[in-house]
Amino acid sequence: MNMDDADMNTALMVDGNAVAGQLMDVFGRDMTMAVARCAGCTREAEMGALIAFTRGPGVVLRCPACEAAIARIVETPTAIYVEARGATFLRLPR
Amino acid sequence: MAQTALEWQAGTVTAIRPETRQTKSFTLALPKWMAHRPGMHYDVRLTAPDGYQTERSYSVASAPERVGTIDLTVERIEDGEVSPYLHDVVATGDQIEVRGPIGGYFVWEVEMGGPLLLIGGGSGVVPLMAMLRHRAAQHATIPARILYSSRTADDVIYRGELDALAASDRAFEPFFTFTRQSPPGWAGYQRRIDATMLSEVIKPFGAHARVYVCGPTLLVEAVANALVQMELPIEQIRTERFGPTGV
Repeated sequence: MNMDDADMNTALMVDGNAVAGQLMDVFGRDMTMAVARCAGCTREAEMGALIAFTRGPGVVLRCPACEAAIARIVETPTAIYVEARGATFLRLPR
Repeated sequence: MAQTALEWQAGTVTAIRPETRQTKSFTLALPKWMAHRPGMHYDVRLTAPDGYQTERSYSVASAPERVGTIDLTVERIEDGEVSPYLHDVVATGDQIEVRGPIGGYFVWEVEMGGPLLLIGGGSGVVPLMAMLRHRAAQHATIPARILYSSRTADDVIYRGELDALAASDRAFEPFFTFTRQSPPGWAGYQRRIDATMLSEVIKPFGAHARVYVCGPTLLVEAVANALVQMELPIEQIRTERFGPTGV
């Protein structure tokens, strides 16, 4: 199968649901039904429905509407870094 | 129903069943078993002698009605880090480190209602099978269909069980499509899932269908885009993308 870079990027996408375990490490609970509002386009989506790229050194979660980066998670041997400036808020269901 | 952080636990492999040339089902007995919601997965963690660890997620194939054990159906990825170990090394009686169940987004339970349209590519059928097994265990009569894309007839996972379920349950109907080679005399679909196929399979359910799509990312993308173009409300579509594994 021949793929150009755009296709290959698309093929590497998974869902936020796929990193549910890692999100649980960070937040201590299932985050896949928590809602994130994209700071770029204001679209709200469950974290399980975000686009996830997991093959890099960290995880990048992107907005399913505008593909802006909503959050990045990087694990080192001593810490977990979470950068979420692409989210206006996260809303966790009780 | 907030779920708290899950600990890793050592599951004991109590059975290994080949499903197809490339897939096996592993039954794990879990000391800290808890009921999953159909569609959830477990993370599997392997640790090398030098301490290197790697994790993969595998969907639960069994129904939550079966207490104490889970089945994980695993496709062997040739250049994978975890699946070749599970396929080639792990034997009955071995212990495997797992945590779960995880992932409340891609789940379906009888209480959520239907009609239910399941669309799977390759081993993407695994979480869909958990939903069907749960539906059967609950004796639910919610109309359900599965559209299942495989390379060849030999690559169909759970074929016997799907056919048996269809024979005993008038509210359930499976549709198979073969993308590489169809069996002799095959009168069904023999191409990649496309909009025409989707509209035929979804027709009796119309815009009320709750749709779950799981498989390689490009398949899921194509199906989800086609469903949205058919004006199915996006809230009724749940997707689980596997990444680049081809079907």
